[in-house]
Amino acid sequence: MSEPADPAGPAARPEGIGPSRLSPLVLLIDPVRMLPSLFLPLVGVLFVGGFSPSSFLWALLGVIGSVGYSALRWVTSTYQVTGYHLEITRSLIRRSSRAVPLDRIRGVDVTTPPLHRLFGLAVVRVDTGANAGDKQEGELDGVPLAEAEHLRELLLRRSRTVRRQTGHPTPAPAAPEALPPAEPEVPGTRVAPAVPEGLTPAGPATPGTRVAPAKPEGVAPVGTEAPGTWVVPAEPAAPGTPAEPGGLAAAGPAVPVAGVGPPAHEDLDVRVPARWLVYGPLSGAFLFAPFALLGGAIGLAFQWGGQFGLDESAAITLGEWLWHRPVLLVVAGVALLAAMPVAGVIMYAVFNWDFRLHRHGPSLVAERGLVTRRSVALEHGRIRGYEFAEGILERRVNVGRLWALVTGLGDSRTRGQLLPDTPRDFALRVAAQAIGPLDAALRPHPPAARRRRLFRAVAPAVAVAAAALLLGWAWIALLALVAAALGVPLGLDRYRSLGHTYDGARLSVRSGSLPRAQAVVERRAVVGWTVRQTWFQRRARVLTVIAGVGAGSGGYAAIDTGEEQGVCFAAEVTPEWITPFLHRENQPVAGAEDRLVAGREDRPAARREDLLVPEREDLPVPGQEGRPVPGGEDLSVPGQEGRPVPERKDRPAAGREDRPVPGQEECSG
Amino acid sequence: MTVLRDPAHRVSRRAITLWSLEALFGLALLVGGAALVAAWASGSGRAWLPAWVSQHIWWLPVAVAVVELPFVVIEPLWRYAVHRWELSGDVVYARSGWFSRQWVFVPVSRIQTVDNEQGWFERLLGLATLEIRTASYAGSSSIRGLDAGVAARLAQDLAHRAHQLRDDAT
Repeated sequence: MSEPADPAGPAARPEGIGPSRLSPLVLLIDPVRMLPSLFLPLVGVLFVGGFSPSSFLWALLGVIGSVGYSALRWVTSTYQVTGYHLEITRSLIRRSSRAVPLDRIRGVDVTTPPLHRLFGLAVVRVDTGANAGDKQEGELDGVPLAEAEHLRELLLRRSRTVRRQTGHPTPAPAAPEALPPAEPEVPGTRVAPAVPEGLTPAGPATPGTRVAPAKPEGVAPVGTEAPGTWVVPAEPAAPGTPAEPGGLAAAGPAVPVAGVGPPAHEDLDVRVPARWLVYGPLSGAFLFAPFALLGGAIGLAFQWGGQFGLDESAAITLGEWLWHRPVLLVVAGVALLAAMPVAGVIMYAVFNWDFRLHRHGPSLVAERGLVTRRSVALEHGRIRGYEFAEGILERRVNVGRLWALVTGLGDSRTRGQLLPDTPRDFALRVAAQAIGPLDAALRPHPPAARRRRLFRAVAPAVAVAAAALLLGWAWIALLALVAAALGVPLGLDRYRSLGHTYDGARLSVRSGSLPRAQAVVERRAVVGWTVRQTWFQRRARVLTVIAGVGAGSGGYAAIDTGEEQGVCFAAEVTPEWITPFLHRENQPVAGAEDRLVAGREDRPAARREDLLVPEREDLPVPGQEGRPVPGGEDLSVPGQEGRPVPERKDRPAAGREDRPVPGQEECSG
Repeated sequence: MTVLRDPAHRVSRRAITLWSLEALFGLALLVGGAALVAAWASGSGRAWLPAWVSQHIWWLPVAVAVVELPFVVIEPLWRYAVHRWELSGDVVYARSGWFSRQWVFVPVSRIQTVDNEQGWFERLLGLATLEIRTASYAGSSSIRGLDAGVAARLAQDLAHRAHQLRDDAT
């Protein structure tokens, strides 16, 4: 933390770590960890040897051998951080040297399993987003905790610096945003503190500030900017008033004062109180823990039973004995069922104990766990949005889970977790503060979407019922009819869940019912669009619009939007990509009817100027705009609906300053 | 759909042949599979099959052929009517599908790789498929049935332009 990350001359002093070893304390941990795998062979040796002196000798040799192996491995493994790589060298059996390029590092996890914690050690895992299967990539098992924290900071910082130096294609605003408020030590110089996601530096133009060349997207500076571009002389802006943990009620982002004080720099440090742990099982997490435990116990009994003279015939006898006492079986079953929520809460609590989310320098850090303390750092510059998921049970009590959408992080659902089950207002405020708010209400989808949801929820069960009736299976028919009846509320709820919106900086889509998820994605993260229309959708005049996003699951779909509504949604988010291909781009002023006039075929590509005709207010699709979704609490932060949207400099650049506040549907024409 | 206009260019006319060949190939596989099933079922000792099924089992491949045959004709023509592409304003705009349709918009600045591929049939017909990939499957597109020369030129243009515009904000 002491080295200034001087953006003006990053090459001047490449910091690094010379060849280092893991802490020798791992020598104490390794044999203990090997115990389970050593235990059976040792016992076996003792048994086979009939507990003779020589068998003890062999067992002792085994233990010594394993300890010696650990020691050798410790001696022969080193790691170091050089200019551009994290190098991990192992030369015990075969020399292997693994160099992880710093610019590929996406995140660094620090985990402390119980034994490690006992000795003040930690496991450092470097995530490169590449081959997720290769767990060994960049794992340092047994680094002193302080060193681990230092290493994490160093790696993340160097990673950014290298990316900027090499002009390597990487997330742009990583640079400005990423630098922690307290970091720059060059007097009078400050890295533009307040570049909210994807915005052009809005501060007074200063030496070194460069206006991005007119890119078609209007997204301003990209990662290839020369270092120094972002330096804006200004006294260090006081970061927004630190919000007290847990009390984020008033934590809406401050109205930006010319390039200062975006939400991204408010302090963030929240803990999830223990009483919210009871919500855990509502998500279905760990509900099956009792069964898993029972299965594990049975497996162990078989494995170990053999050692002590129990064999399969004993198990079969036991099974038969149980089979003739159904009461016992039923009692056991009921006990297991009753244990589900209890065990669920316990397991969930063990994993999510003392969940803490805070901003640490350039990263959001999520820590959790009772036995194994896990800490995941998500680099701010790579976060592109968030996803809020709530199951049907969770919605009953208004709680949900929160994930960050991180570029290059494949399994965002496990690694990108920002909050476990917490009350929705709390989660949304944290999301707004940690990443950014969504300032618009979801727009509902047309009635045709409701018909389609209902049909899809009910029709299969009805078909089954009809078939069963024909075949004379009354019971199955009855069951299917019940399922069909349940399909009605399900279908209606799925329709109510549908929605999409765009607030000028972030787009959002929501769908699902039993699990319902709403994703909020920054505009700059959109890499393309796919519009799909099946034959049935075509007849219902609806379509599905999928925003391609290089983060999270890769694509976020607005399902069954109206034909015009869907395409216009895409055009609203990225007008410069879509409007050239709309039918009426050359018609300066057109009423809603004109939209339906068929365009000419094979028209030459629209000239760019045509796309920038003056704004006009489009007629909204009747009765659909601005109205929140019927069922719908959506993710717009409570109490912020009417708030003027802060300047969004990332809106399409030229000629668009006079654009009205986004949020109304505008298929600009 | 009335909202989006058609992309400017059709794919090569030979694509019809390509799709017909592929459909015929698929038909042959289906009918062959059905015939195998029929042969297996008509063998002795399938007592669990109702008598009328095993007696008329050879209708199965015929039925498959009759049902599928129209599609062998319809699908290629329908596809040719739907499949179109265009590159303008540094955005690739492509439409594909037949029964269901799909429009894809890929801004050149977000393209990561452009692959020009030729399958076995495509090589015979002098066609190629352009695979345009971004960081997301939903922003990726593949344009089938392009004339090989057109595809090569387009791939080169796209790669060149993408390098100029490279904007990896994602």
